[in-house]
Amino acid sequence: MITIESARVRFASTEGGAPMVALADVSLTIARGEFLCILGPSGCGKTTLLKAMMGLVPLDSGQIRIGSHAVTGPGADRAMVFQNYALLPWADVTANIAFGLELRGASREECARQAAHWIKAVGLGGFEHHLPRQLSGGMQQRVGLARALAVEPEILLMDEPFGAVDAQTRRLLQEDLLDLMQRSGKTVVFVTHSMEEAVLLGDRVALMSPRPGRVREVIEVGLTRPRTASVEREPRFTELKEYLWERLRAMRDEAADA
Amino acid sequence: MAWEGAALTSGSLLLPTVEATAWRLIELAGTGELWHALWVSNHAALLGFALAGAIGVPLGLAMGRWPSADWFFDPYLNVMLATPMPAAIPVVIMVAGLGLPARVLVVVLFALATIVFHARAGFRLVGWELLEMSSAFGASEWQLWRKVVLRGAAPGIWLGVRLGAIRAVSAMVTIELLLVAVGMGRLILDAQGSLDAAGLFASVMVIVAESVLLAHLFQRFEQDASQAAMGMAAE
Ligand SMILES: Nc1ncnc2c1ncn2[C@@H]1O[C@H](COP(=O)(O)OP(=O)(O)O)[C@@H](O)[C@H]1O
Ligand SMILES: [Mg+2]
Repeated sequence: MITIESARVRFASTEGGAPMVALADVSLTIARGEFLCILGPSGCGKTTLLKAMMGLVPLDSGQIRIGSHAVTGPGADRAMVFQNYALLPWADVTANIAFGLELRGASREECARQAAHWIKAVGLGGFEHHLPRQLSGGMQQRVGLARALAVEPEILLMDEPFGAVDAQTRRLLQEDLLDLMQRSGKTVVFVTHSMEEAVLLGDRVALMSPRPGRVREVIEVGLTRPRTASVEREPRFTELKEYLWERLRAMRDEAADA
Repeated sequence: MAWEGAALTSGSLLLPTVEATAWRLIELAGTGELWHALWVSNHAALLGFALAGAIGVPLGLAMGRWPSADWFFDPYLNVMLATPMPAAIPVVIMVAGLGLPARVLVVVLFALATIVFHARAGFRLVGWELLEMSSAFGASEWQLWRKVVLRGAAPGIWLGVRLGAIRAVSAMVTIELLLVAVGMGRLILDAQGSLDAAGLFASVMVIVAESVLLAHLFQRFEQDASQAAMGMAAE
C-alpha cells in the first residue's frame, strides 16, 4: 500500500520571486494491486507527484510511505516509465531493457535471459539489436516498459507513457498494458491527461487541479476486470468520461474566474 | 600548383619553388636538425597537452555535474579562453622563466579552457533525463559516471581534445617564435634570418602537417564516439 500524507513540494522560481507550489497538501492512499490513474491538466503537478513517489523529488513537508517504510529515495520496490522514454541512445534494445538489472549487479547471462523474456512479453521480438533511433515512438516506449518490468518492481509508476504516440499505436499499447498488468497483481500509478485512457485503464481516477497542484477528487471506475478495449461501449464508460470532462471544465472555469 | 606557378613567374627570392622546398626539407631531415627541433618543441607541447587533458576533461565534466563547480571555475576559464596568446606569454616567462616548465605552462594555459568547455558541453548533451532515469533505477554515482556520463559525453570530450591539440601546437610555436627561440620556432627564425626561404617554407609546412595530422587523428575518435553516443552505429 502507498500512503501519501499531506505531501507538499515547492520549486524555487527562476526569477527569484516567491517559490512555486507544485504540490499543495496532497493526500492519497493506493491499495496493493490497484491501478490508479492520475488525471489533470498540464502543469498540475502529476509528474512531480510521481517523482516524489519514486523518491526523485524530495517533499518539503508531509510523507510518502510504501507499506510502513517512508520513501527517502529510489528503491528496488518501484520502477518508472518515463514520458520521453529516456532510453540510452547508444545501447540496443537488449541492453536498454537490461539496464536496471545491470545496475543491480545481475550477471551478464541473467541480464540476457531477462531481456529476452521481456522482449517477448512486450512484443519486440526481432528487434533485439536495434538502437532506439531505429524504433518508432511506440516501440521505444515498449522498451521503456520492459526495462521497468525487468527489475520486477511491486509498484510501477508511469508518467504519460503513451502521450507522445499516435492514436492507433496508443490504442495497441493500452490493450497490451491491460493484458500485462491484469495478470501481474502489481500496483500501478499511471499519469495521463486523457480521460478515455484514465477510465479504460484505472480502478480509480484521481483528478488533480493546478495552481497549486492538489488532488480534487478520487473517482471509482467500477468497470469489471479483466477489461478489454470493448468496455468503451459500456454506458458506464461514457458516463464516467462525461463526468470527468465536466469536472475538468469546471476546474478551468474556476481558474479563469480567479 | 598555384604556388609553383607564382614562384616560377615572379622569380622571387622569397617565394621558393616546390622543388627547392622539398630538397631543403630532405636536407633538414637528413642532418637530424629537423628531428631535433621537432622533439624539443613537441616535448613541451605533449607534456602541456597531456596535462591540459588530464585536468580539463574531469574538470569540465565536474562543472557539468555540479553547478557550484561551474560557478567557481567558469570565470577563470573564460578569461583563459579570451586572452590573446602573445600578450600572455611575457607574463608567463616573468613568472616561470625560460625553460621547459614555462613552455609547458603556456601550452596548458592555451589548451585547457577549450578542453574544459567542450567536456562540459559533452556532459550537458547527455541530458538530465538519462541521469534521472539512472537514479530512478538505483544507479550509484560511480555507475552514473561509468555507464552513462562517459558514454554520452564522449563526443564533446573528443572534440575538446581535438581543438585542444591544435591550440597546444599553436601555443608551442608562438612561444618559440616570440620569446624562447628553440625547437621548430628556432628553425623558422634561423631560416628567416638567413633568407633561407625554402627552409622557412619547409619548417612551416612541417608544423602545419603535424597540426593537421593531430586534428585528423582526434577527429576520427570524435566521429566514432559521436555516432556511438547518438545511437547511429554502422548496421
Ligand atoms: N524542476 C523543477 N523546477 C522548477 N519548477 C518545476 C520543476 N518541475 C516542475 N516544475 C513546475 O511545477 C509545476 C508542476 O509540474 P509537473 O509536475 O511537471 O506538472 P504535470 O506533469 O502535471 O504537467 C509546473 O508549473 C512546473 O513548471
Ligand atoms: Mg508531466
